[in-house]
Amino acid sequence: MKVKIGLESHIQLNTKSKIFCGCANPVNMKEEPEPNTVACDTCLGLPGTKPRANKAVVEMALKVALALNCRMAKETYFSRKTYFYPDMNKNFQITQYEIPIAEKGSMESAGKKIGIRRVHMEEDPAKLVHIGGLGGKHVLVDYNRAGIPLIEIVTEPDFTSPEEARLYLQKLESILEYLGVYDSASSAVMKSDANISLEGGMRIEVKNITGTKDIERALKFEIMRQGNLIKRGMEVKRETRMWNPDLGATQSMRGKEEEAEYGYIFESDLTMLEISTGMVSAAKKSLPELPDQRFRRFVKQYELPEKVAESVISELDLAELFEQIAKRVSPKLAGTWISGYLKKTLNWHNLRFRESGLRKEWVISLLKMFESGRITDRNAEMVIRYMVEEKRPPEKIIKKHSLGKAALDLDAVVKKVLEKNKKAAEDYRKGEKKALHFLVGQCMKETRGQADANEIKKSILRLLK
Amino acid sequence: MDYRKLEARLRTLDRKYSFFVTIARPQRLRDKGKLSRFLVSVKDCICVEGLQSAAGSRILEGYIPPFQSTVVASVLGEGATIIGKTNQDEFGFGTFSVNSGYGIPKNPHDPGRSCGGSSGGAAGLTAALPDDILHIALGQSTGGSISCPASFCGVVGLTPTYGLVSRYGLIDYANSLDKIGPIAKTVKDAALVLSVIAGFDPRDSTSIKREPEDYTKGLDRGVKGLKIGVPKEYLGKGVDPRVAKSVWSGIKKLESLGAEYQEISLPSTKHALSAYYIIACAEASTNLAKFCGMRYGASEPVRDSFNEYFSRVRTKYFGEEAKRRILLGTYARMAGYRDQYYLKAMKVRTMVIQEFKKAFKKFDVLAAPTMPITAPRFSEIEKMSPIHQYTMDILTVAPNLAGIPTLSVPCGRAKGMPVGLHLMGDHLQEEKILRTGKSLEAGK
Ligand SMILES: [Zn+2]
Repeated sequence: MKVKIGLESHIQLNTKSKIFCGCANPVNMKEEPEPNTVACDTCLGLPGTKPRANKAVVEMALKVALALNCRMAKETYFSRKTYFYPDMNKNFQITQYEIPIAEKGSMESAGKKIGIRRVHMEEDPAKLVHIGGLGGKHVLVDYNRAGIPLIEIVTEPDFTSPEEARLYLQKLESILEYLGVYDSASSAVMKSDANISLEGGMRIEVKNITGTKDIERALKFEIMRQGNLIKRGMEVKRETRMWNPDLGATQSMRGKEEEAEYGYIFESDLTMLEISTGMVSAAKKSLPELPDQRFRRFVKQYELPEKVAESVISELDLAELFEQIAKRVSPKLAGTWISGYLKKTLNWHNLRFRESGLRKEWVISLLKMFESGRITDRNAEMVIRYMVEEKRPPEKIIKKHSLGKAALDLDAVVKKVLEKNKKAAEDYRKGEKKALHFLVGQCMKETRGQADANEIKKSILRLLK
Repeated sequence: MDYRKLEARLRTLDRKYSFFVTIARPQRLRDKGKLSRFLVSVKDCICVEGLQSAAGSRILEGYIPPFQSTVVASVLGEGATIIGKTNQDEFGFGTFSVNSGYGIPKNPHDPGRSCGGSSGGAAGLTAALPDDILHIALGQSTGGSISCPASFCGVVGLTPTYGLVSRYGLIDYANSLDKIGPIAKTVKDAALVLSVIAGFDPRDSTSIKREPEDYTKGLDRGVKGLKIGVPKEYLGKGVDPRVAKSVWSGIKKLESLGAEYQEISLPSTKHALSAYYIIACAEASTNLAKFCGMRYGASEPVRDSFNEYFSRVRTKYFGEEAKRRILLGTYARMAGYRDQYYLKAMKVRTMVIQEFKKAFKKFDVLAAPTMPITAPRFSEIEKMSPIHQYTMDILTVAPNLAGIPTLSVPCGRAKGMPVGLHLMGDHLQEEKILRTGKSLEAGK
């Protein structure tokens, strides 16, 4: 069955301060602040306060729009979107409506061109904390989140599978990280709403899909649900549904007849924003190398296979790590290892390189050992795993877990030593404990300290049985 | 001056006239600054830190702002003493100050009549205080709320250019129209206060960036050679002939002082009223959304879902006119009506501005009656339909839509009640209307 999917993603930007007041932006804080400690009179929407637009948000939005090949507005406005909800400080949200900052862009994702309908700026509402779950008796409001700057990126309904949607979101996330406007390792959140329609059914909106991991699951569920309805000859009615990640299912929020009516008007507390050619060219100049450009460069400059290059560039951290490592070891080796074992391990722990505690020097020295044949492929992979778990340099890990090449042939070394020192072996058998120390010492000499004394001891005891 | 004695005097006055919503606690009067000898009353919709600021509405009862509005900080910085919050139509919704949640201010010239609105308490108090007390009121206008009560109470009301005075700390009626300005006994006092409160404020994005100006300086320059336009639409049908007569005598007086006048036509005026009410109500209906009993002001016991709770609080504490304007404004911005009402009104507004701009190429100031009538009796107001009441704003809404400065100056009486002459100037040409007003005042 033919499927059409469009996405609307809301991303919390990492500006220093909030979008309409002077409060610090909580997404940059190492620890989540106590509720309502990063909130001022404006965040609370107190009567008499006025919003003032943070220029940095406009600059970030421009960068995003440029990276998504959008057409910039010459003049843009903020509008009021009015609806009543306890997380809204003013019962209207300051957003953009008629003339968003940018429109009509596109992104190349998995060999397909995805249309970008619009990019606009808005404020995040406060956060509701449901005491005792959604069915609880009351709800607490945390205004720390009120006024965190968001950009909303809306695609055309160009995706034909959940996988395409996921690949797009992953690429979008990587672009935003390259631009330095969003950090997935911080508390900043990317949330998407999806519009899905199957041939023969109406358009369904699914809200509240967080990050890049749940998108495929949510869409697959929804396609299956709609497909079953159609198969049974039932009508897929237009409605808004909510993704519940705990249940792994979507739930109905409201039908078409209850569709919200926002009554947009201009936000006249804020003036028209002129997007001058100067601003656009300044934003252009400040654009860093983006994932696509870096991919092409890595393939050309380092002769990385395309698959490896694509994997390495997908995360800013890894791409930068690669470039530093490639100066010290063979780029191909660096690329294969980063895109392979390292990425696998980090993903397993759900960590970004910069959060993992790993140091680039550790990775370099491990790869050097591998390059010079001092450690096997299998053991090197284990070293990476232990490094992430124990946060120690590879030398220490190798020693502790006896992962050096010597360990592989430890028994052979011990055999050789026992042959050479038959007398000492005999002495030990007779009960002379000192002889064991001597034999261990001889083995250590033979392995030039690569092997662990305890492992040698175990091997001697085993062979002397 | 002893503040305790003064406070007692204010309370006596308030018992009779209901000028105040809140009277300030006793305080020490100060002796430094341009306004050190002045008492300043503040319209209830302008936040005063630590003093209930309810915009005349029951739904904001108990709201005590934890911050200071820029205008109040400015007058305090010049040594003024804040004496309290003056009564008004709830959120500015009215022409006669009968829509207040805190009693109805009465006209000191005849307590059976209205002070005008919505800054009724401000103008009434200004007129009622004896000349030995220096007093200035901070008022606020969206569509005529400074000029109208100034005219009805026989005092001076100055509505500055939109953006000249910071709105930071103003409880919004319609953000694209709201202006804070002084109501005073004399043009000179109004000019003095404007010099103190005008100026760029980074906390209000619509505030105009420009150098401070002393508006008291050119006041005595006179009107010799000044070109005055008299829009004929403003003196036609619907204007009480006795009011028109007073206004004409004021214009003739200016002519005798060396000004030239000429009749002109401002045809957009007839569309201005509907455009004004659509824009003002559309903005107001969003501004009033935040009042729901959740964070400040009136609240009720919680016993149902948030939707029911919000509705219960809003039903109980908003006045009838507030509800009417929320409905009107919400309707005008809904999908399906938005284009034909809200967006069309925005276009009319541009037309009105262009028409004024064209007129000011030829004229220095425009002169007209401030209100088509003198202060009506409360019994007469009761008989007026809401639409009839709205039409009373016909002469003030166009300049307010255009954001140009206006000055209402007393120009005689009709049937024993004061009449106001409305002087309108081009954007930021406050100096011209103040100078003209001063000449008229001197010629009294
Ligand atoms: Zn804040």
